[in-house]
Amino acid sequence: MFKRFLSERPLRLPHIKPYVPRPSDPSIFWFNSERDDIVSEVVNRICTAHESDRGLLEVALNDAAFHEIRRLEKQRDEEARDRLGYWRSMIRHIGKMDDTEQRRVLHAIVTTMTRDVAGNFDPRVYRFARRAVPRLIGGVMEPRRLMAAAPELLERVLKVEGDLEHLRQLQSEGSLVFVPTHSSNLDSIVLSQALEISGLPPTIYGAGKNLFTNPIISFFMHNLGAYRVDRRIRVSLYKDILKLYSQVMIERGYHSLFFPAGTRSRSGMIERRLKLGLLGSAVEAFTTNQVRRVDRPVWFVPTTINYALVLEAETLVKDWLMEEGQARYIIEDDEFSQIDRWFAFFRKMVGMRGACIIRFGEPIDPFGNRVGPGGQSLTPTGRTIDPGGYVEQRGKPVVDAVRDAAYTRELGEVLGQRFEQDTVLMSTQVVAHVLFRDLVQSTPGMDLFARLRLRGEIGLDREALHQELGEARDRLVALEAKGRVRTSEVVKEDTPAELLERALSFWNGYHDSTAATLEGERVVLGDPALLLYYQNRLVPFAEDIASPEQLQAACEIEKLGVHR
Amino acid sequence: MSLRVGVVGAGAFGRGIAQASVRQGHDVVLWSRQDRELPDPIRASTDIADMRDRELIFLAVPARHAVDVAEQLGEAVDGRHSIVHVSRGLIGAELQTITQVIREKTVCRRLGALAGPLVADALAEGRPSGAILGTGFPELTDLVREALGGAGLRIYETRDVVGVELASATVGFLTVVLAYAQEVGVGPSTLAVLATRGMVEVSRIGQTLGAKESTFMGLAGLGDLIAAVAGDHRPEFRLGRALAQGAKLTSAVGEAGAYVEGIEVARHLMEHARRLGLPTPISSTFVAVTEGGMSSEAAIEALMERQVGKE
Repeated sequence: MFKRFLSERPLRLPHIKPYVPRPSDPSIFWFNSERDDIVSEVVNRICTAHESDRGLLEVALNDAAFHEIRRLEKQRDEEARDRLGYWRSMIRHIGKMDDTEQRRVLHAIVTTMTRDVAGNFDPRVYRFARRAVPRLIGGVMEPRRLMAAAPELLERVLKVEGDLEHLRQLQSEGSLVFVPTHSSNLDSIVLSQALEISGLPPTIYGAGKNLFTNPIISFFMHNLGAYRVDRRIRVSLYKDILKLYSQVMIERGYHSLFFPAGTRSRSGMIERRLKLGLLGSAVEAFTTNQVRRVDRPVWFVPTTINYALVLEAETLVKDWLMEEGQARYIIEDDEFSQIDRWFAFFRKMVGMRGACIIRFGEPIDPFGNRVGPGGQSLTPTGRTIDPGGYVEQRGKPVVDAVRDAAYTRELGEVLGQRFEQDTVLMSTQVVAHVLFRDLVQSTPGMDLFARLRLRGEIGLDREALHQELGEARDRLVALEAKGRVRTSEVVKEDTPAELLERALSFWNGYHDSTAATLEGERVVLGDPALLLYYQNRLVPFAEDIASPEQLQAACEIEKLGVHR
Repeated sequence: MSLRVGVVGAGAFGRGIAQASVRQGHDVVLWSRQDRELPDPIRASTDIADMRDRELIFLAVPARHAVDVAEQLGEAVDGRHSIVHVSRGLIGAELQTITQVIREKTVCRRLGALAGPLVADALAEGRPSGAILGTGFPELTDLVREALGGAGLRIYETRDVVGVELASATVGFLTVVLAYAQEVGVGPSTLAVLATRGMVEVSRIGQTLGAKESTFMGLAGLGDLIAAVAGDHRPEFRLGRALAQGAKLTSAVGEAGAYVEGIEVARHLMEHARRLGLPTPISSTFVAVTEGGMSSEAAIEALMERQVGKE
């Protein structure tokens, strides 16, 4: 009951001595004073779009009632007991309502849903979290030093790369939209820390309502600008609200963050197919501002989050292999919800150098162009152009949803390429790739699932493996020189033997199953599924880093990514 | 309202587009490397900067010049412009399409690929014809219809841009194959099997590059192939015949009277298919004929001996 109360109505701190934002504070510090205005702008725009056409209005109400009844009937919980009656009664009366009544009902539904989505930002909670999170992570490692050396520990675990100065310059000139790859539920926490230590502003972001079920996380998320996304709701009005909320926030200059892949990469591969809904909301925010002659540019920052160890690796890869990714879009019982796994994970991460690298890529405008230091859009040869030209028709900026959807698809393509180029390959991923490639090479003609059953059956000569690792690494470094991908410092600096040992010690002792073990002069492959997960990051590069003898195996691996 | 149309390339197709546009009452500038005499009111230009004030630009240069020209064009255009290309080729072993090249070399995003059984003469003379425009931007289709349209030209639209470009490029190769087969005396029924299965073969490869099967079976693919076989005097057709008459590839290309990109495209497609483990019986056999000296009888026998599967 208490838990539900919290997840439905996240706690806020009392309004005693509220913080008064200063002009130099990031835009989000002003959010609470604008919150009601933002909610009513979203509600008004949605209602206006539906009210002009009775047919459209009736379809929207029927769709809402139909999907909500279906969801609540399935849920059979307290929410269902509270709300099912309302929706059932509504669906019976929609046809009999006059225009005024239908509009009133629409307004009420949209208002309730928008309020549920809208987040909160409490500068006091923000300041507390800035200090507390590094210490909590430090405390997991060494409880006695809880208050002392935590920030340094965090810096050791988390490395931030990219042209931070450029991003810091842009933050006051327009809206930054951070679009990261997504591997773990920890991503949003890790990324907020990365923004914090890089002197970049906090952002708003959408978080799955399932993350709000933990009361502590719910408290922080809610008060740090996260808006709630309930993926169980299939109502099309709700989807419109989510997009428009994001759009209005970006139009108003709030920096924003969303994961364009929509969900964590189940396979571990770098995402190529991106969900375009929220991406589109940012493109439309740009167009709307242009049409209103508001000079507030929007820039996207492709960001890669690279872990040597992924908290939920085992659950994710299992889900991918079950090919039930769609059915289990929301996983609630993975490692993220198990506190002992958090402890084990952080202990492991803190113990190893360079365990997580966040790379902020070069910012781009909504049309995929490079952005100069002053925020100007640039051609490939460095000529400055006006991004407003993209939304002009016969010389005038116009809103055109179909055109903007096409721009969004193009942007999705560009981001997919940038994710590849900005991915930082980690020790575990490189080692897993070489081990998995050997597995494929030594089992010609076998299908993937048969290979995954070969636990502990394949042994490799350690010396030969070192050589292969060294060669693969050299080829990756050559690819890095061409700008195709990046590798972490340890991948570049370690000897092949060190690289192997590093990967093994990351895996062993954290994951339930063993990825590989050293047995004398042999390396025995443990759970191929785990190796598959980590090596999947290298799928696009498999062919480029294979020797002629390994080419066949590399092609088979590359084929895994055809429908990526 | 009159459109400001630009045409890049003064080959037969470029001139055909320019003529069709002026017939619709638009203001047309045609750019080419060399100074040319053009019929009024088409304005000739050798300065790519003259494309700057154009709204819609047609890129009508062979694929092998596309990178170069797109790079020059990149200095003149910005987000306001729309570019449509009519090239039938692909670039390099990576099978890069021309829209990908334009996207890389310019900042234009409103791009399209015009393909199908449309030929230069029909455009220039305003004869009834049809084409397909691959673009993600419906507003671009409206512009192209306005620029070239009129009652006699039916321009269909698809979002499958890469499909249009791949289908159009592979039709060139299939035309060479069919012309060759016809010249060595293969009958209509065998020709039909070759054409249909050839299209399936290239469409299978195309799908791995993001194309839709249906695009290969539409105007950009089968529609265009029918026009080629029906005798719209394409250089690919002359090349296929010359090869069948025993000419070597290099001299046959010379005889065809134009640079033919189909063979190069086929080679790169086969390489791509090999990497993915896709079967390419028709392309492989044809390359064996043109480059490996396999006889036409042996080629037909090799194809006929293959196990028959489901369609």
